Amino acid sequence: MPQMNLAEALIDGLIWSLRADPRATIIGRGIAGHGPEHAAEDRLKQEFGSRIIDPPTSEAAVAQLGTGAAMAGARPFVHYGTAVFAYEAWNQFINEAANIHYMSNGQLSAPVTFHLFHGIRGGGGPQHSGSPYAMYANNPGLEIVLPTSPRDAKGLMRSAMASNNPTIVIQNAKLLGLTEDVPAEDYYIPFGKADVKRAGKDVSVIACSRSVIDALEAAAILENEDVSVEVIDIRTLAPLDVDTIIASVEKTGRMVAVDETYEICGVASELIASVVTRAFSALKSQPVRVARPMTPVPFSPPLEAAVNPGTQKIVEACRRVCLR
Amino acid sequence: MTKPSHTERLELFRRMLHMRRFEEMVIRLAQSHEYTGRQHLHIGHEATGAAVAMAMRDGDKIHTTHRNHGYVIACGADPGRAFAEIMGRRDGLNGGKGGSWHLCDATRGFQSTSAMVGGSIALAAGAAFALKLAKSGNISFAHFGDGTLDEGVAYEALNIASIYELPVLFVCENNSKAGQRPSSMLAAARLQDVPAALQIHCELVDGADSDAAQIVFQNAADRVRTTGRPVFVEATLERWPGSHQVKADFPTGVTDISLALNLDKVEGKHADWIKRSDPLLRATRALIEDGVSDLVGLLELDAKVNKLMEESRSFAEASPFPDVSVAFTGVFAS
Repeated sequence: MPQMNLAEALIDGLIWSLRADPRATIIGRGIAGHGPEHAAEDRLKQEFGSRIIDPPTSEAAVAQLGTGAAMAGARPFVHYGTAVFAYEAWNQFINEAANIHYMSNGQLSAPVTFHLFHGIRGGGGPQHSGSPYAMYANNPGLEIVLPTSPRDAKGLMRSAMASNNPTIVIQNAKLLGLTEDVPAEDYYIPFGKADVKRAGKDVSVIACSRSVIDALEAAAILENEDVSVEVIDIRTLAPLDVDTIIASVEKTGRMVAVDETYEICGVASELIASVVTRAFSALKSQPVRVARPMTPVPFSPPLEAAVNPGTQKIVEACRRVCLR
Repeated sequence: MTKPSHTERLELFRRMLHMRRFEEMVIRLAQSHEYTGRQHLHIGHEATGAAVAMAMRDGDKIHTTHRNHGYVIACGADPGRAFAEIMGRRDGLNGGKGGSWHLCDATRGFQSTSAMVGGSIALAAGAAFALKLAKSGNISFAHFGDGTLDEGVAYEALNIASIYELPVLFVCENNSKAGQRPSSMLAAARLQDVPAALQIHCELVDGADSDAAQIVFQNAADRVRTTGRPVFVEATLERWPGSHQVKADFPTGVTDISLALNLDKVEGKHADWIKRSDPLLRATRALIEDGVSDLVGLLELDAKVNKLMEESRSFAEASPFPDVSVAFTGVFAS
């Protein structure tokens, strides 16, 4: 089985998608980012150069181009680079793409994939560190996919490109270099299936995107303290696999929800709400939320680290829920 | 096309008449039912809408704004299902989920009607992109008002259509007002200065002149098909005095096409609009003067259309409200 970093796995998933469907087309460049992994994109350009367009800096119209093309039979993949750029396309994501299937009573659909890099990436400052997926999740009609591992990234990308709905594939920019064995063949990972990344018995840490990696580090630290941590990667925020989350909490009786979006109306809040409203009696202690505090992301490295819900905060949260 | 044939002119007139009588029935429905929607009536724009619809071929796509009723009807959608949708009924074109703002009929290439100013123009560019990728030979149509050019996304969409040579016909209905204020506030002297600066071929037409509109839109669509490049047509229109999204009324009266031969007798506050800007009366007069038809023939057609609209109204009124359970279904495609 070949080794791939996450950028290579994403590109591999896209290449399989373009091979499988002549309607698939790419709008955007820099799909593998602009860091050390950027060369992963070369394979895509070599095999499918004629099916890639490099659009002008017109985020709103490009979103609409992809949406309108999808409604007329194409399968566009639209790359935005930094997720905050897509704030310019808010109306197009939320009010056009997400609504069209419902408001046409199923006459039309918009099978477009939007691809974004989110999160604290080191020096992004207030305007380039945004993680907008909780805001997207606050609207019906969008599928939201958060790949964490290379293996997941490839299979989830295949499912995104095959989906008949507008799908946002959004990943933390710092994860592109993560490397593991990835099957060379074509495969899909279905939406709405959370993955138990590490089994444990004392506390369930429910996380997504970069927070999954931080949670796995925290679990390794806590193992030395005889605390057994189960780490669940939700993988898709919409649809959300609540059953797997509840099964884990019923087993451990304790819950920590971790995510990079803001703590108010954020993903961690939703994860806790979905457990408390369905399985309150399974909880032996009050759940804890580890999320980004309500402040813009500052530039200076120690300040930036202070607002990031990283490994150490997860360790502390797990200790708290286990003490109670 | 240098001059439309008698058959083509009559067909355009037939569609215009359907559009006008449809909207008049919408006013009556609004007056006699307490429904919650608003209406953005297409009265006064019929020559433009019908000419655009006649320039469409099977497989073409059109995106409009929420001033959409006329286009939906001109494209051949069932008026009964359109009335039902406006009233939020089960048998509506969109099952009651869209309402007046979002009527669509995908079987006729009539894609969404976006109620966001600037929505249709870029979606239609997207449709053109898909049609071009599929090497279909089809084109797309973008209908929008002059206010759309105030939006940044319009500039972006025009630019993208030009640089990627997308086969899209931009149809700008310039009625110069949004609500009761000017609908576009452009520093450019003319609307078409904007697309022209982006290397898009532009045409200007009197949007209330059915013959001129038919020629210009047919030729513009042919040009898009032949060159594969976008074309921008500005249709100048005078806003109908009754155009108001919540007050449904007939300030210019229920249309009487026989008035076309007696325009000098028209008096009152809105006489100017009736005499000069009503495309249906202008078309009626032109058809009779040119010997394409006579008043008796046109009145017979009118009676048929009125009967159809009455039947369509009955269909819509008989349609129940949707079962509440459907509010929760159809968010995602399977």
